[in-house]
Amino acid sequence: MKRLRAMLGYAWAFLAVVIVLATFMGNRYFSHKFVSATKITVSPRVTGGDVAKVSEHGNYKTMIHRPVFDGLIGERSTGFIQIDWEPVDGLPPVLEERVEPGGKREMAFTVRLDTRSGAATAKDHVGSGLPVDQVYKLRTGWAVRVLLQKGKAP
Amino acid sequence: MEGFLLGVSNGVICVAYCTPVLVPCLLAGGGGLSRSTAVTLRFLGGRLLGYLLFGVVAWAIGRPLLQAAGYRELITGSVYMVLSVMLVLFGFFNDSHSCSAPAVTSLVLKPLGRIRLSALVPEAAGLATGLNLCPPFLLALAASVEKGSLSSSLFFFLMFFIGTALFFIPAPFLGLLKTVPAFRTVGKLAAGLIGLYYFYSGLIMFVGGIKSV
Amino acid sequence: MKRDAKDASTVSSRQSPLRALLIALPMMFLTLLMLTAGKRPPDPPHVAALAITFVFFNLFFFLMVRTGKTDRYRAPLFITYAVAFVISFISRIIEIRGSMALTETNILQAQAPFCHIAIPMVLIPAALTKTIIYPGTIIGSFASISSMLILWIGASLSLGRGFCGWACFFGGLEDGFSRILKRPVIKRIGATWTYLPYAVLLLIVLTSAAAFSPTYCEWLCPFKTVTEYVQVTSLKTLIQAIIFLSLFLGLVVVLPILTKRRTQCGLFCPFGAFQSFTNKANVFDIRIDRDKCVKCGRCVRTCPTFSMNDASIAEGVSRITCMKCGKCVDTCPKGAISYHVKGTPHPGRSDRYRLLFLYPAFLFLATMAGGSIRDAILRIIKLVTTGSMV
Repeated sequence: MKRLRAMLGYAWAFLAVVIVLATFMGNRYFSHKFVSATKITVSPRVTGGDVAKVSEHGNYKTMIHRPVFDGLIGERSTGFIQIDWEPVDGLPPVLEERVEPGGKREMAFTVRLDTRSGAATAKDHVGSGLPVDQVYKLRTGWAVRVLLQKGKAP
Repeated sequence: MEGFLLGVSNGVICVAYCTPVLVPCLLAGGGGLSRSTAVTLRFLGGRLLGYLLFGVVAWAIGRPLLQAAGYRELITGSVYMVLSVMLVLFGFFNDSHSCSAPAVTSLVLKPLGRIRLSALVPEAAGLATGLNLCPPFLLALAASVEKGSLSSSLFFFLMFFIGTALFFIPAPFLGLLKTVPAFRTVGKLAAGLIGLYYFYSGLIMFVGGIKSV
Repeated sequence: MKRDAKDASTVSSRQSPLRALLIALPMMFLTLLMLTAGKRPPDPPHVAALAITFVFFNLFFFLMVRTGKTDRYRAPLFITYAVAFVISFISRIIEIRGSMALTETNILQAQAPFCHIAIPMVLIPAALTKTIIYPGTIIGSFASISSMLILWIGASLSLGRGFCGWACFFGGLEDGFSRILKRPVIKRIGATWTYLPYAVLLLIVLTSAAAFSPTYCEWLCPFKTVTEYVQVTSLKTLIQAIIFLSLFLGLVVVLPILTKRRTQCGLFCPFGAFQSFTNKANVFDIRIDRDKCVKCGRCVRTCPTFSMNDASIAEGVSRITCMKCGKCVDTCPKGAISYHVKGTPHPGRSDRYRLLFLYPAFLFLATMAGGSIRDAILRIIKLVTTGSMV
């Protein structure tokens, strides 16, 4: 038994060198395998989630993402929706877009972004303001995140 | 029933908010499963007390004051800061495995008699997390202020508590880890670190509240 | 008398020059393979950078084998690695993003390179939601998430917590500062504080899962100071910046100088604490021969991560925080401390065990550090010739 344990120990120790070689030489291969096997992605809380709707406006387009309420287990009661405009060269000074989060008309609001000042506002159909989380100036255009409460019309 | 369903549907979020406080409490104390269960129950008791207090507040003061800009932040910020000072002292400056509450509050509470505050950390933590204005709690608050009477407001919060408490059932088993002395030390230090975080949160809320009032 | 002779032979595990060269030859081949990745360098500066790196590493490995001293030759490589990493990383970040500052836009565009310290925070959310709560890219870019995860798995299996002593690109900074003074100014640190990394680990794992964001990176990382600082745009980011700077100055610069220990690793780093657990899946450890030990306490005083104490000496094995740097092995006047392969007899062929550990550990270091050092050399050449590193 002692001999067997010693042999296994030595085998594992030799294998450590092989593991190091495989870790670096096969890094790209294993990375791809790992991603395809786990289907892992970056959290929509970082990326803004999938684009749900694209509106063409001639020189530029608006991309409205799906509402993001993703939490550790299930969904959270608070979230956000991200709206992108691109390309940067085709954008007018003031951008305005009607947004229906998740396609729900009762949740609709209008987001307005002044690209000169970088200020954004969001207002519902009766003119009440919605909290704007962040305004981002991207290389490709602009993005705005508006905070949402789940199941609650603005 | 509305409160219970709200509690069940939001229990996971409650656990997410409360775990960083409860787990260090569980690890820092001594004893076995029964003691861990007791700590969890006392923590939940503190939460229940916090909920019922808000039930009373929701009924007595009514929606306008609680929703008035600033007051909510002032109250919660103050509670956070008191809890955090207790946790920091408990975690970093107390060699025994008991709570440091006496050092903080003895001046205030001495006249009240010889209450053993050293054992009150689970209740205090539970009370403070009970008063935590996390999203599900705000939902519950919003729903309860619409109730007409004190009894219905209290009942709503009681049912909300029962719904969320279901998710705390596995917690005592985590406490079994504390039989290893190292885990108790780690638990205490983690409680101190959580305290620092809550102090920051409380301070930010308090300052925000002062600005708004 | 016989015993003394045996002690002396173990204390000095020197090899003859020829034997040391023979042992080092396979390492020369492997490091050349890993440093070049089978490709010829495109121009003279690349050839120079490769040659300097190759000679630097292999000379030190030869000396390691020849003299029987591990930490004495590991430390200069490790410290050079950390300095080179900072030069290389900052230059790359400026090339990619145009600035060292990490802005909200960079976060939205997932442009933050992934670091191994974030691994404990992302595992629970990844298991439950199949998403990574880190603003990095999953695959294909500089320091992508999947690439770092594969590196971590490989490091855990081959080195365990040895990663912290041989592969961590930050550890060399405090290792360097801890060697400035000849004697420590602060000699005693309460044993309770050595549990702090586990508390930090517990805290960041729970809060990251609750907040669904990497709380350590947002609030506690000392190395933001020398990699990518958060752009100060609000009170919150100002507080974050102050915390980062204070932790760096305190734990990576001042305390290592005063204590001659790696205080960030031993008293704070959550990844180190995490590696202490993954170390169980590793075959190498450090053992103490209680018959030889004279309890002089030299190992207790010199261990950079507080991994030796009376209890561990009594047990005959270092604490789980041991990062296998070899400092205690070098320091022990009686040769009572040695590398060991789990499952094999102890005390046994300690020279053989040491070489079996050195091969994967040094290869990991040479490969990880090689890239950074070569890149830093190239950037310094560029700085001298063009006036700019990027």
